[in-house]
Amino acid sequence: MPKTEIRVGGLGGQGVILCGHIIGKAASIYDNKHATLIQSFGPEARGSACSAQVTFDEEPIGYPYVKRPDVLIVMSPDAYFQFAPSLKPGGVLLYESDLVTLDERLPEGVTAYGIPATRLAEELGRRLVLNIVMVGFFVGVTGLVSPEAAERAVVHSVPKGTEQLNQRAFRKGYEFGLQLVGRGNGGARHDA
Amino acid sequence: MLEGYPKQIALRDGTAVVVRPVEAKDEEVLLAFYRALPEEDRLFLRDDVTSQAWADRFIGSIDYETVIPLLAEAGGEVVANGTLYRTLHGWTTHVAEIRLAVARSFQRRGLGTAMLRELVGVAISAGVEKMIANVVDNQVGAIRAFEKRGFRREAVLKGHVKDIHGLKRDLVIMSNDVSHIWDAMAAMVADYSPTLGG
Repeated sequence: MPKTEIRVGGLGGQGVILCGHIIGKAASIYDNKHATLIQSFGPEARGSACSAQVTFDEEPIGYPYVKRPDVLIVMSPDAYFQFAPSLKPGGVLLYESDLVTLDERLPEGVTAYGIPATRLAEELGRRLVLNIVMVGFFVGVTGLVSPEAAERAVVHSVPKGTEQLNQRAFRKGYEFGLQLVGRGNGGARHDA
Repeated sequence: MLEGYPKQIALRDGTAVVVRPVEAKDEEVLLAFYRALPEEDRLFLRDDVTSQAWADRFIGSIDYETVIPLLAEAGGEVVANGTLYRTLHGWTTHVAEIRLAVARSFQRRGLGTAMLRELVGVAISAGVEKMIANVVDNQVGAIRAFEKRGFRREAVLKGHVKDIHGLKRDLVIMSNDVSHIWDAMAAMVADYSPTLGG
């Protein structure tokens, strides 16, 4: 599999960095690839823009910055506005469909998949786990890391006592993604 | 939140017990379990759990969202029943109440503690921040089991219940606040730099 570049964008408090961290951890620790993570924050803890850049490859990675991601995961409108134009043509956009509305800025050939991750997380009992729903959705739609590796990365990355709910959040997103890709319904899909 | 059930657990003496969610088909075995409890154990329960009407109501109320019951089976019989009660509206949506009954022959063998471990796990998995339980002051074994699972005495209602001899006893309200678990998760998803702001 060639080098894969991913950007995760959203607001502080949505677990953007943890989402990127778990994807990188799944690819490297549990799927035996090389991975890097670059994170950038706004000055405030909550509500400011933040993003994570994850790269993984079979070979060692010489340049960890992501300029034109293969996959973009956005959890807020601002992240979509800022990062969507940089998506590689033919890339994949994964977005929080209750918060983000697609428009003409999406590059040609991009396939977009939406999931109401915040709502699903609330239904599970905790809005906090929306980022883990997004991790599951990423794995279900793209298959770029194995579900076993991703689930192990989730369980080993979250605070003790929260593993079960996070595992449920992962599976919820994963199954939603599988359903969307496999049957072409159950969520929002858009081909630019 | 009920993934992983049915689950086999071993008690301190090696006895194997299966814990699983209560289903509609369990009405009769559950009723038999409660009817076999000594009267003094049943007296402190909120309902007349030996009546068919209660069994119908209880089974009918199970939705695995606001009423989440587990039972333990050994040798084909129910030996414990523990239920989480939640509300999805109002100011106590973060709280769940635990009610637990254990067969006399299985008391002091670690089953109560094991059932509580399961119920606490299910509650946390459902996003609950605080659990409460009502225990009568002389139910020493029950109080110890709750304390082992992180519960503390939060309030005492003096002379609030009468025992089988008509003696007034104190009702102890025990609680287990697990919100720190979710505080840790909130800190983890805060997305702030350790070197900027925050």
